[in-house]
This record gives sequence, structure tokens and C-alpha cells, in this order.
Amino acid sequence: MKKLSLLLLSAAALCLSVQGCSDSKKEEQAPSKDKSAEQKLFVYNWTYYIPDQVVRDFEKAYNVKVVYDMYASNEEMFTKLKAGGGGYDLVFPSGDYVSIMIKENMLEPIDKNKMPNFVNIDPAVLNKINFDTGNKYSVPYMMGAAGVAVNTKEVPAGFDKSWSIFNRDDLKGRMTMLDDMREVLGAALKSLGYSVNTKNVEELKKAKDLVKQWKSKIVKFDAESFAKGFAAGDFLVVQGYAENVFLELDEEAKKNVSFFIPKEGSAMYMDSMVLLKNAKNKELAYTFMNYIHKPEVYAQVADFLMLPSINVPARDIRKVKPNYEIADLERSEFKEDLGDMLKDYNQIWQEIIVGE
Amino acid sequence: MRKNYGPIYVAPIAFWLIAFLSVPLLITLSYSFMEKGLYGGVELKFSLAAYKSLLNTAVLKVLLNTIVIAVASTAIMVALALPTAYYIARSPVKNLLLMLIIIPFWTNFLIRIYAWIAILGSNGLLNSFLISTGLLDEHIQFLYNRYAIILVIIYTTIPFAIFPLYSTIEKFDFSLIEAAMDLGASKFRALWLVMIPNIRSGITTAILFTFIPTFGNFAVPQLVGGTDSWMLGNLIVRELNITRNWPLASSISVVLTSVTMIGVLFFMRSQSKKEL
Repeated sequence: MKKLSLLLLSAAALCLSVQGCSDSKKEEQAPSKDKSAEQKLFVYNWTYYIPDQVVRDFEKAYNVKVVYDMYASNEEMFTKLKAGGGGYDLVFPSGDYVSIMIKENMLEPIDKNKMPNFVNIDPAVLNKINFDTGNKYSVPYMMGAAGVAVNTKEVPAGFDKSWSIFNRDDLKGRMTMLDDMREVLGAALKSLGYSVNTKNVEELKKAKDLVKQWKSKIVKFDAESFAKGFAAGDFLVVQGYAENVFLELDEEAKKNVSFFIPKEGSAMYMDSMVLLKNAKNKELAYTFMNYIHKPEVYAQVADFLMLPSINVPARDIRKVKPNYEIADLERSEFKEDLGDMLKDYNQIWQEIIVGE
Repeated sequence: MRKNYGPIYVAPIAFWLIAFLSVPLLITLSYSFMEKGLYGGVELKFSLAAYKSLLNTAVLKVLLNTIVIAVASTAIMVALALPTAYYIARSPVKNLLLMLIIIPFWTNFLIRIYAWIAILGSNGLLNSFLISTGLLDEHIQFLYNRYAIILVIIYTTIPFAIFPLYSTIEKFDFSLIEAAMDLGASKFRALWLVMIPNIRSGITTAILFTFIPTFGNFAVPQLVGGTDSWMLGNLIVRELNITRNWPLASSISVVLTSVTMIGVLFFMRSQSKKEL
């Protein structure tokens, strides 16, 4: 009897510890086909990327239902769509995945006549887009870039707003960079004056040497828990997305944080709305995209995310100051699909993080 | 004629082992011999590319690091668990003590790791205490290195060493120790020469139960490891989620499983020989 209870106890312990390892980020539910009269729009988007209020207002205004599923990474989204999952109408991939999805023939061309609010989007931003030149298949949604957050309580003012901060000896052991190949190599490539999408192996090797210098000064490459460490004061300088960093900080702590996009530029992302080829509710999807780019709606979204507004009229009516402005991204570049170069990037990155 | 119920009794466990052990292992094994799909997944073509890319010093370095961490943690765990299990087995309140070992498990594994980060961090409890008592002038970085990994692994895994040891020690006939001491052995000598050989099966189980999860661990090095603390589990996660090279991930996992299995078989054989 005692043996049995012992066995049960250890089994319970095992279950608990195993459960701890499996982090299920997916909160998705395959949309089911519905035959009711009410029209339904199936949206597949990043986690916490549209305020609930905006979706509810849209449902009310057009008397429709929005089924909203979420993903945590482009890869997760792509794998699910490729496996035939979903039945989605609208998806929000990043630039590199827009071009992959165009190549894979998964997207429906955008008819801009059905989207009068497209003209609200900043033409200067559109000009920088190379993953879908002329926006034939994608409608830009949000852009941003990873930057650097500094704890100004511990790090005296007057620091250079540059990637070279990761080379400072006095901050050794108190800094982290993202565990993300494109972001870290992008930072190094920009510091050396190269493109974040370079196809030149020599340039990549020089970037590797620079990252290795940074590596000797930082504590770790981390994309998951660095913001918690920054909030706790363990890390004084971190590379990361503003929204991740500020999420962990209370109002008081935010005063002691300076977030900047380094002057050399950074690897930028642009998440766009795309219409899937096999979408069932294309008209409703156009209505939704058009709705998002109404200035007052877009201002609400940009305020919620505290990101710069690519919608020109929305800039004047937004209420919250973004963490950085479009002007700060002047020298930054959109990340593009690397195609065959990807394996060189992977190789270089592995040499950096694991060793040669 | 008596009915043979044997197959019915084994059916559930056989189903379980086939569906959740054999089939996944076979899938992993076959994926490791296929070609990488362009954006993740695999192509149904035979290829040895995954195994070729395993043969570089970086992977070997990670393998070595994993072995060092797993062996060190296992050794420390068994060394700590032996006296603990002995104490519990001899205590009049053993059920209470066993409960105390179980209770931390009611808290999620990840939360317990974050708790260690809160204790050991540069602004953590330990540093604050040492600095406020004047023992230290500057904080010490306890985290983000190999020692932190070993410490947290020991904390999270040690019950798996304590329980099998406890259950064998509990069954051990302690009058044998008295006999040995009557014959002139010191207490330590009596325990070492009489008790240890008798609880060998418990020690074997304790080693297996702690070594196997440690060898495949990835969450702990991810959270408290630094720039030089890669373990095989982290490589697999990276190849699966980030570089999306499923054949390579599968081949690393085949290596991990084989090293563990060969180690376990070898170990069990040497143990059973000793018993003969």
C-alpha cells in the first residue's frame, strides 16, 4: 500500500514537471463552417495584435462575426496554412513571409479600388518595401524594429545611441541581445554599413567577428525572459522590441528607461494583411482592411501597440506617444526572405552561438 | 478450459508503448534520413545530409557539455539523496517528510526556475543579503553559467533520486547493521559494506531516473544558462523552431536517444553482473 501511494506521488510529480516544460502558446480553434445567415470573417493574426475593441466595433458596424485566431510566429502560421488548416480569409505575415507566400502562390492580388483607405498609408514607407514591390499582394499593417533599452538609473546619461554600446567593458555581464539571427546579425551588418539582407559572405563574416566581440560582453542571447531580467535590474542594457520591454515595467520604472533605435539603423519588420487565395469572404476581408486604415481606427490600434503610425492622417489624431517615430527608422531596412542564403546565415549564426 | 486473459491485460500498456513510444521514435528515425523541406518539414527523399552536418566540432562540443552537466548533476544528486533517503526511512515521521519533498512539485516547474532567478540574480535575494551584511562590495553574477544550470537541475530533479532510494532503504533489514557493528565494524563501515550493496537496485534506479531527464533538459539551460551553456536539447529546439531543419533536429534526437539507451543498457548490464 505504501509503495502504491509512493508510486502515485512520484507519478503526480512527474506529470507536473513534464507539464511545466510544454508551453502551449496556441490558443487556436479551427474555424468551423457555419451556414447561418450572419457573415463570418476568419482572421489569423499575431497574439495581442489588434485591440479587442476594434474587432467588436467592426462586428457591430457591419453586423458580421469575426473569428480571430492567433499565432506566435510566422513559421507556426505558415506550417498551419501549408498543412491545409484554417479556412482563413485574412492573415498578417511579416515581410519575408509575404514574399514566400507569393512565391508559393498562396495569395490573392489586392484590388486597391476596393480599398479606398489605402491612400492613407505613408508613400515613403511604401517605397521602402521590397518584399512585395508596389504592394500587389499585401496591405501594410504595422512596422517596427528592435532597438536598445537602457536602465538610466544605473547607466549614466550621455551614452552613445549606437549598437557599439554592446562593446562597453563597464557594462560587461549586464547586457543581453536577442536570440534571433536576423536581429543580431542585422545590427552588426548595419554597424558595418552593410545591408541587413546582404548576400555577400565576406560581409557576413565581418559581421560575425563583430557579434563575437559583443558576445564576450553580454550575459546571454535571449528572446524569452530578458525583459523580466531587465525589469528586475539584473540587465542594464538589452536589445529587444519596445513592446516586450515595456510590458514588464510599471509606470514608475518606465521613467528610468531610455529606448532607442541605434543611429546605424536596425532590421525592421513590416507585418501586412494578405488575402488568401482560397478565402471564402473576400469582400468582407476588403471591408475589414479598409476599416483598419480608417484614420480613427488606425490611431486606436497604433495607440494600443505604441508603435509608429504608417497611416498619415492617424498621426495627428492619435493620443499616445509611440515608443519611437518613423523618423527614427530612417536608416533601418525591412527584413527580406534570404532564399538560398539562409543556410549561410544559419551556419554563421551557429558558429557564433555554439562555437566553431 | 481456462480462458487466457493475458493479451487483454497487456493490451492497454502495449497500445500506450506503441502509440506514444515506438511510433514517435520510428518517425524521428525516418525523418533523420530525409531531406529538409525548404520552409520546414521534410521531403520524402533519402539523404544522409543531417548526419553529415552532425559531424562538426560545434555539435561535439555541445554533446560534451551535455555529458559533463548530466554526469555532474547525477553524481551530486545521488550523493545528496542517499543520506536524505536514509534519514527519512529511519525517521518516525517519514510520511510527513515524504510529503515535504513532494509539495514543491505542486508549483509549476517554470515558476520554480524563475524563483531561482529571483534568488540568484544580480539584484536578487542572495546578492542583496551579502551586500547588506557587508560580506560583498559588488554583486556576484551567480546566474547564466554552467553551475547555475547544475544547481537548478539538482533542485528540480532530486526527488526522483530520493524516492527509489527511500523505498529500497525502507525495506532493508537494519539488524544486519547491528550485526556488523557487533562484529566490530564502525557505523560508517557497516553502512558502506552492508547497506550499500543491498540497496544497489535503488541506486541504479535513482541514477537512471535523474540522468535521463537531465540529459534531455532544455528549459533549464535556456533560462539560467549563459552564452556557453548549450545542451543537446537546446540544439534540437533551435533546429525545430528556428532554422526549421527537421532532419537535423531528428538526427540530434536520434543521437541523444541512442547515447542514453546505450548508456542505460551498459549500466544495467554491469549492475546485474555484479549481483550474480
